[in-house]
Amino acid sequence: MRSLLFLAGLAFAASAQAQFRLPNLDINRLVDTAKNVGKAVKEIDEPEEIAMGRDVASRLLGAAPLVADPQLQRYVNSVGRWLAAQTERPDLPWQFGVLDHPNVNAFAVPGGTIFITRGLLDRMRNEAELAGVLGHEIVHVLRKHHLKAIQKGAQTALAGDALSTALKDRGGAARDKLIALGAEVYSRGLDKSDELEADRLGIVIAARAGYDAYGLPSVLQALQAMSAQDSTLALMFKTHPAPGERLDALSEKMQPLLDAYAGQAQLGDRFLRQIKK
Amino acid sequence: MRFLALLLFLPLVASAEPATVIRATDLKQEPASDAATIASLAENSAVEALERRSGWTRVKAPAGEGWVRMLSLRFEAAKPGASGVGQLFNVARTGSSGTQTTTGVRGLDEQQLATARPNPAELAKLQQFAADRTAAASFAAEGKLDAKQVDYPK
Repeated sequence: MRSLLFLAGLAFAASAQAQFRLPNLDINRLVDTAKNVGKAVKEIDEPEEIAMGRDVASRLLGAAPLVADPQLQRYVNSVGRWLAAQTERPDLPWQFGVLDHPNVNAFAVPGGTIFITRGLLDRMRNEAELAGVLGHEIVHVLRKHHLKAIQKGAQTALAGDALSTALKDRGGAARDKLIALGAEVYSRGLDKSDELEADRLGIVIAARAGYDAYGLPSVLQALQAMSAQDSTLALMFKTHPAPGERLDALSEKMQPLLDAYAGQAQLGDRFLRQIKK
Repeated sequence: MRFLALLLFLPLVASAEPATVIRATDLKQEPASDAATIASLAENSAVEALERRSGWTRVKAPAGEGWVRMLSLRFEAAKPGASGVGQLFNVARTGSSGTQTTTGVRGLDEQQLATARPNPAELAKLQQFAADRTAAASFAAEGKLDAKQVDYPK
């Protein structure tokens, strides 16, 4: 039956081709146009994602340097790398950095770089909370949320072949423009659906890694209780759905999973030993 | 100062924080869904939050003291400048965050992010602190963290 339908389809396609052949069509021009469109929506491959991510990370480090505490940086890298190992992109060159800044925020950069601010770290109480936040950021990398936002911006800002050039030529003007577009995504923010997805999947990653699944909700609740006028929250609040809304979404969709993994490790002592020095 | 910060991290804090129950919810004897129910709290009931344990928060309600699901509670946002819920949530403000970044154009607000210049020296440091998978696995073992399979939600 299926093969009969298939044959019928073939016959229809053949007759359609015969009927709708357009004599004056410039096939070569059509192919050229298709090629250009293909370039404009070109999938950025993994090496390009990693290389571009490093340039964006360098910019963010120009806005705030790392906390000068190698032990703390290694600690956050250990937690983050363990989390990343539980994901579908375990072998990206994952690196995690604590930015020396009082603002409350965290950033995910394409290719596997994650930043968290000292201001956010100071508001956490245990490793499960850190894992929850890093899990959220890791999802942005896994699902290429920023990469897609940058690519979308590049399609309008960089005409024609410029995106390909920008990806290949690391020294050129197109490259500078692309990286500037990348940095801009962090002050504009992602789509709300990306953020809510990162909350849901981030919790799963923390649970896979053996942590109390309530880490991220706990941080969100602490943020929800802070004043919206607090200047250290300004950019985070501008670029994310309100913490109360994020908690609502989690309780609607994630309650059973949260409860199933609520009893897992929090590691408050290990966290405090590393953070409070 | 360091000692004070540690004190803030104690799980039990004397001060209670005003909160609202955002949906009708059971007040439980213990932090577990199969624990005995003390009372049913109506939507928008005012309670005082005392302590949190994973997915549960111990509260004081007119009907008595017990546990409610933490996701059923919302706190009043603190007034600007007030420490507020920070106390219940053991918020510690210590360490290098005390140093305000007032030098140059560095910073993480919108404008500063847009105008930041690359910092290759810090990027090199970042790469140097990265952990490999083997090291991360030993670190997890030290913390008795076991990896398990958990599916993403549909």
